[in-house]
Amino acid sequence: MNIQQNMSLMEKLAILTDAAKYDVACTSSGVDRKGNGRDMGNCIAAGICHSFAADGRCISLLKILFTNECIFNCAYCQNNCNSDVPRASFTPDEVCELTMEFYRRNYIEGLFLSSGILVSPNYTMELIYQTLYKLRNIHRFNGYIHVKAIPGADPALIEKAGYLADRMSINLELPTADGLKKLAPYKSRTTILKPMRQIQNGITENKNELILYRKAPKFVPAGQSTQMIIGATPESDFQIMQVSEALYRNFDLKRVFYSAFINVNQDSALPMLPGGPPLLREHRLYQADWLLRYYDFTVSELLSDDRPNFNIYLDPKCDWALRHLEYFPVEINRASYHTLLRVPGIGYKSAERIVKARRNTTLTFSDLKKIGVVLKRALYFITCSGRMMYNTKLEENYICENLMADRTQIPKDIRNSGYRQLSLFDSGMLDESTIPQSHIIASEMTASH
Amino acid sequence: MYVFVCEDSLEGIFTGVYDACASRLGHRNIRLITGEPENYELFSEYIHVTPSDEKTGKVIRTITSRFGMQFYESIYQAALSGERHSVKKMDKADAIYETILLALASGDGQKVLLSLGEPCVYRIFELCRATNREACHHLEFLRFSELENGVLFATIHPKDNVLPYLAEHFTDRLPMENFMIYDATHQTVAVHKASMRYILTDATDLDLEKVNRYSESEQEFRRLWLTFFDHIAIEARKNPHLQMQLIPKRYWADTPELSRFA
Repeated sequence: MNIQQNMSLMEKLAILTDAAKYDVACTSSGVDRKGNGRDMGNCIAAGICHSFAADGRCISLLKILFTNECIFNCAYCQNNCNSDVPRASFTPDEVCELTMEFYRRNYIEGLFLSSGILVSPNYTMELIYQTLYKLRNIHRFNGYIHVKAIPGADPALIEKAGYLADRMSINLELPTADGLKKLAPYKSRTTILKPMRQIQNGITENKNELILYRKAPKFVPAGQSTQMIIGATPESDFQIMQVSEALYRNFDLKRVFYSAFINVNQDSALPMLPGGPPLLREHRLYQADWLLRYYDFTVSELLSDDRPNFNIYLDPKCDWALRHLEYFPVEINRASYHTLLRVPGIGYKSAERIVKARRNTTLTFSDLKKIGVVLKRALYFITCSGRMMYNTKLEENYICENLMADRTQIPKDIRNSGYRQLSLFDSGMLDESTIPQSHIIASEMTASH
Repeated sequence: MYVFVCEDSLEGIFTGVYDACASRLGHRNIRLITGEPENYELFSEYIHVTPSDEKTGKVIRTITSRFGMQFYESIYQAALSGERHSVKKMDKADAIYETILLALASGDGQKVLLSLGEPCVYRIFELCRATNREACHHLEFLRFSELENGVLFATIHPKDNVLPYLAEHFTDRLPMENFMIYDATHQTVAVHKASMRYILTDATDLDLEKVNRYSESEQEFRRLWLTFFDHIAIEARKNPHLQMQLIPKRYWADTPELSRFA
């Protein structure tokens, strides 16, 4: 380890930001808290992103590690005790100063504090707790705080921190226990799931307390989240999504985040990904994740043992619709909200607007366009007052070819010739280049119709 | 055709609505526009509206009491839109006038707002959405700098008149700070004194030289922020196109990250 003394705040910030950047959760959402007229800060339930970094990811919270002087040796992590990176630790006061000064300049929405394991899990958790305590009680900070619970730390410490934070998370790291054992020998499923369960129970109990006594202190009001690394171990999308579904169901998680694996340590035990991180796969997982949380889908509808991975050409909802044409076409003016949600091109906001708007009038295709429905995707699956928009066939190949004829519907990575991850997926789809020219022309004609 | 020419402000438009209703010229013969038209039509009569507090108050009272706050909020947001008057699209004053007429006729404001098939209602919907988006973007990208005297100062260039909304937000968020938000497009300033309400005033008295004198630590914190900004990005995922899509160019100039955008 390369521990330097007397580093400037600037150097520490650089090192500990670098160390924290692979953590994906950066949302400031889930809690609505008005200012109290005295302390600095409030929270908006939808969350606010304050800037966007060069990789296009949002900057919402000051995302830093407390320390990267870690005693663990997780293979996927650049801060593991065997890797040769500069090390640094903040003091609680430094973290508070940065948070307060950034916050009042409207650079950030709050603090995201994670940490490597310094000395022991308890020692680290205690330091994190002290930082939060100072921030809340001495600096009177009322903004958003997302804090990591350190696996293996004393439950009492985790509980104390939970009363100061808005959101807590414990990273699941890898989708299966086997993967975890192999790549993160100091962590285990139990040390991860135990605090997760503890926080879940804490939140439930706290809700009951709040019913009895409105002013009871709030425990993790924005809920808890977790993240998984995608592509470091050979799990299929189906396995990953099953884990997510179980987490949502059994642990009441607010969010599960997916992080495309980047081999930061050039570790030979881990896959080398010459084409860069599996970003498209990550994207498909997020799409499916939204289907679970907002669209009432279950994982078994989207994937199965026979089809363990998502289609790279089509988003999961389109893919599902094409395999279940028996449910279509859907009549816009009669179908239930739940049914509307399943139509490609109709999002949950449009579905809500449709349900409200059709109370007063009969909707037409031009109304749908105004409402925000993506007609170029939806038109194959819907009728308005019994009519389709154009004379289209309800046939898997026909719809698929027409959807693909619109090049903007195909992920950019594939469009720009040969996606690097192609081999990982079983491509049952037609190759884009084999779409006959006649179909493309035909679809253009129908579009101008 | 009678054309009521209103001032481009909430007062101007609402007074226009009041005058148009009171004129008894027949709704079908009336059109409202904000600002002087580029071309005058030969067979139209142009009536200039003088903004009046009293008439505005009456219109607001009628709207809020009959159709509720939500309806009023939509109309209000549409009125704050800064979209230029164009021949192709319905003028916002006209859209507001017609929507209020529809609501008066049906008696249910909420219902009217949902009938997007009506051109005027759709226009309101569009304007609201644009204003809302602009306001949200400014919550995100507005940046304060600390001046010599400890006051936080921010300059913005919004398309729509979102300053009242921003002032409200930051008063709630920073109650113990003295801050000013300068809207350079509309030449207005929101001034907030610690633990008081904010006030909106026009920017003629603003000393632009004084607000460029930053406190000692200001540059230091900007550098720290840029350090954080640079280091939080993952090299392997670099995507300037996505970045540009998410923070549009016109916001860049007012942020300290300006130098980092391609």
